[in-house]
Amino acid sequence: MIYFIVFICGAVVMSFEILGSRILAPNFGNSVFVWGSLISIFLTGLSAGYYLGGRIADIRPSSRKLGLIIIAPGVLLLTFPLYSGPVSDWIFMKDIGVRSSPLLASAILFLVPSVFLGIVSPYTAKLMICSLHTSGKTIGTLYALSTFGSIIGTLVTSFYLITVAGVSFLIMGQGILLIVLAMPLLFMNLRCNINNTE
Amino acid sequence: MLQKIYLIIFCFILFPFEGFALEPAEKLLMERNSLYQYIAVTEDTSKHKRYLRNNKKGLIQGVISLDAPGKLLFEYTQTSFVSLAFLQMNPTDVLFAGLGIGAMPGYMNRYYPEANIDVVEIDTDIIQVAKEYFYFKENKNLMVHPGDARQFIKRSKKKYDIIFLDAYQSDYIPFHLTTVEFLREVKNILEDNGVVVSNILSPNRNKFFDSMIMTYKKVFPYLYIFKGKTAGNFVFVVTKSSDLKDKDGIETIAKKIQSLKKFDFDLPETVSRFEHSMAYEWSGADILTDDFAPVNLYKYQDSEAK
Repeated sequence: MIYFIVFICGAVVMSFEILGSRILAPNFGNSVFVWGSLISIFLTGLSAGYYLGGRIADIRPSSRKLGLIIIAPGVLLLTFPLYSGPVSDWIFMKDIGVRSSPLLASAILFLVPSVFLGIVSPYTAKLMICSLHTSGKTIGTLYALSTFGSIIGTLVTSFYLITVAGVSFLIMGQGILLIVLAMPLLFMNLRCNINNTE
Repeated sequence: MLQKIYLIIFCFILFPFEGFALEPAEKLLMERNSLYQYIAVTEDTSKHKRYLRNNKKGLIQGVISLDAPGKLLFEYTQTSFVSLAFLQMNPTDVLFAGLGIGAMPGYMNRYYPEANIDVVEIDTDIIQVAKEYFYFKENKNLMVHPGDARQFIKRSKKKYDIIFLDAYQSDYIPFHLTTVEFLREVKNILEDNGVVVSNILSPNRNKFFDSMIMTYKKVFPYLYIFKGKTAGNFVFVVTKSSDLKDKDGIETIAKKIQSLKKFDFDLPETVSRFEHSMAYEWSGADILTDDFAPVNLYKYQDSEAK
């Protein structure tokens, strides 16, 4: 279950990033500055998320909390079309420069969801580690699944999804996917008890 | 195993990546990677022609004859000037989205020196190359504005009589310059009697072509199509006004302009390829929007209209 969630979260991050370029293009073009902004903001979000996630995971971790962590970006993505247009139009009107405009737009639109998705990795690691003897294996598997999800998310989105459905629809769909996936976590107790015997 | 690897490396040293399959008489004058694309200028010493390329092979973006640098060599560049015959008077404000080698803006400027011509080009390296290798010059009535065409059009306070859309990334139009939303923005800065001309490259009629037709039709009342003699070159002309033009009327005006301006190509002959879009319209084609515009894929899919 958790493995699957990690995979999906990895996929959603990259899929959202690819779709993000489509969101920005009407106002900021398709230039290298747009891509640079997008990628750097997503990585900023992820690294902040990893750090925060590690800290949060040490405070009484539970699958219920994990559920909430995943539902948060789910809601943001589900409501994304409501605010993405106004935000990019507003920055377009401000016109703060060819580099700053897409960077600011990316920060407002994509930073918070990617922080939450970043939290998922260390948090699930904490939940999944049942013994310190196999912790390396557990963490390695989670990393691999998350990145593999990202690969699939990138390919499926850019090769296929973008050619069959609208960008808003896809982003909302991902929001729903995250929420649906996280719902059962709210009622589960998936935590492994090491209980610090060592 | 190791030997095999050495052998492969050795082969690469012997045969370095072939940059070009150039004709023997063609030599490379410059090549560069700009922020947006690969740019190469080559020259055919026997034909006395100079080319701009964005791609290691095939597709040529622009060409001039060194003996007559002002001439329009590409068919679509000549055809684009049929737009003049759709106007009530001489153009006073003209916009080009995409500079390329600057052939069309330069030509316009030479024959209509009093017209104000704005060119928007995203790639400053292209601007430099056009000036350095293709005899393009700016003057007070011909100005190049570096930037994204869509942003320029959205911000423009000025209205134009003719808007030429010819912004290509290698062999495709960036998706944000193909959508209904974009065309509405274009329409906003078009004079009431104005005309938009667009170069649509569609080797074998493909889905992109079908979608472009329906997208233009969604925004503008009438679409006229000029099919190139060479395969896959289409020039789209749309007007903002809702009176339908007919071939005879346009031809008459074209003849008048030709006798006045004495273009070095046959404008009335180009006009004779006038077609209404009806024959090409296919309601099954997707209208391209900011939300949904798979331009890269549609270029490779054959039209489903039969």
